[in-house]
Amino acid sequence: MAVAEAHTTVSAARARRRGRLLPSDAGRAVNWAAACMLLMVTAVALLAPLLAPYNPLAPVSMPLQPPGHGTFLLGTDAIGRDVLSRVLYGWRSSWFAALAVIASGVVIGGFVGVFAGMSGGWLDNLLMRVTDGFLALPAPVIAIAVVAALGASFFHTLLAVAIVWWPFYARIVRGEVRALAARPHMAAARLAGSGRLRLAGRHLLPGTVPAIVITASLDVGNLVLTLAALSFLGLGQPAPAPELGADTARNLQFLLQQWWIPVMPGLAVFLLALIANLAGDGVRDLMGDR
Amino acid sequence: MRRLIAKRLAAMAVIILVLTAVMFLLQRISPLDPVHAMLGANASRQALTAERHNLGLDRPVIDQYGRYLDGLARGNLGMSYRTRRPVTTDIGTFLPATAELTFYALALALVLAVLLAFGTTLEWPGARLLRLVLLGGSSAPAFLLSIAGILVFYKQLGWLPASGRTSLANPPTGPTGLLTVDGLLTGQPGVTLDACQHLVLPALAIAIGPAVSIGRVLRSSLASNLRADYVRTARAKGLSEGRLLLRHVTRNSVGAALSMTGLQVGLMFAGVLVIEQVFAWPGLGQYVAQSIPVADFPAIAGVTLLLGAGYVVINTTVDILQAVADPRISV
Repeated sequence: MAVAEAHTTVSAARARRRGRLLPSDAGRAVNWAAACMLLMVTAVALLAPLLAPYNPLAPVSMPLQPPGHGTFLLGTDAIGRDVLSRVLYGWRSSWFAALAVIASGVVIGGFVGVFAGMSGGWLDNLLMRVTDGFLALPAPVIAIAVVAALGASFFHTLLAVAIVWWPFYARIVRGEVRALAARPHMAAARLAGSGRLRLAGRHLLPGTVPAIVITASLDVGNLVLTLAALSFLGLGQPAPAPELGADTARNLQFLLQQWWIPVMPGLAVFLLALIANLAGDGVRDLMGDR
Repeated sequence: MRRLIAKRLAAMAVIILVLTAVMFLLQRISPLDPVHAMLGANASRQALTAERHNLGLDRPVIDQYGRYLDGLARGNLGMSYRTRRPVTTDIGTFLPATAELTFYALALALVLAVLLAFGTTLEWPGARLLRLVLLGGSSAPAFLLSIAGILVFYKQLGWLPASGRTSLANPPTGPTGLLTVDGLLTGQPGVTLDACQHLVLPALAIAIGPAVSIGRVLRSSLASNLRADYVRTARAKGLSEGRLLLRHVTRNSVGAALSMTGLQVGLMFAGVLVIEQVFAWPGLGQYVAQSIPVADFPAIAGVTLLLGAGYVVINTTVDILQAVADPRISV
């Protein structure tokens, strides 16, 4: 099908701009809007205790009420807890967990990257081989093994994901540092007698910020999905705690009769990842424009 | 070329060795005492000491790692605390179901990726819609896709089954363990058909995420290749668009997509572990999920080693294939 289509249309389309959903002038506004959505997601996460109409842990009504029944916008679950409240609290923990892992990735990866990039030589070589080793292994699968060894708990899951997540950032930061180190302003700073710390903090780190911000914002969506998958497998907070992945997994038995109980938390993960991905694209385009 | 292959294989061996070291280390730092886990909480002190000696846990760490590697080389992954069987035996039981699902999911992901890439590169009315599909597909958790699939195709339409590998009471158990193959080998096409029906939903749920990632990479290399000088030359000498796209552009664009495929296999392994829960698929995912609550580390480590090594081997193969396809690539 594609080839027949190609026959008539490729050359006609050649001149047009590809790959964009919208023309570029509207695109900029959309990018800003997408980036601002990150703030909204964070606001919802922060305000979850105020926004949630009920206690997410306590039964507040008859069980298995469908969405829209009474004051239960998303219905109630098998023991009469409000699904909306649970989703909001789950949203909060998913979002902050993803941000925490990203932050640790940026800090650890950034530190290793700057250190490797500045020192060069065998140390640089060694550190990059280590990151290569990490990157050559399937991160989510290794994370499962790490949690299993440490004992299943929410903190251990975050720790495990953080352990497998930083090498990616180390690679990117190290690349940026190497590129920056060859620039004239570094030579000038060195001639002016700046120490290593000052070189790193004042002249290298600021230069790596755009690359880090772009990478991190494109990465949040992935991380939300990975953490949700681990939570689905039972590697998150224990039972009564509201968690999006785990709430879907625990309520699979209700799928065919009371679909909203497993579907709503899953939809929340989708929405969270979608917003994160849109915002990531927006941030990349905005920063790439500069 | 030969040097490159040797170098790649050596790197592969090193990474797999690192993987074993990581698993060994995890076992060491695990607060769970394997001897206690094997013998139960009420074991006597003598029994514990004897078992500790038996397992070699009273020897130096390096010595233990050597024994561990030696065991691995003989296919010994230790005993599962939960099933009380060798982990290798357990994996042998659960692997065929997972291998079959992963294989079909990967094949489906590649087909979908190519369709998505061509469908969004070419200008036609559906291209924008497909771009939205790309965006949505990269954000949807696999477990949501699978329960949506169950609601639509099982509950509403009744077209496809929603759990297990087969609806037959006594499916063939050999020779390969892959039902789609065994059905044909034993002359029961009904088994194969039934297995295929069971495969559709889980394979699709696993495939969509990777298909989107691979499709995106393929799309962007198609788009950049279409702007290349050699394309203008080819057009100028009167080559037809179809031939140009198939013989020249596609061939130059698959390299990056192939690398992405290798990387996505790792995500697919994780996807399989999750999706098997939703579809009650009797594979490694079930085995891992049942091992997690009881902290059966040898079982989880065994599966991790297998999947990790599989991932490394696949990516090495992809690297070598790329170098064969494009001699300009060198390390």
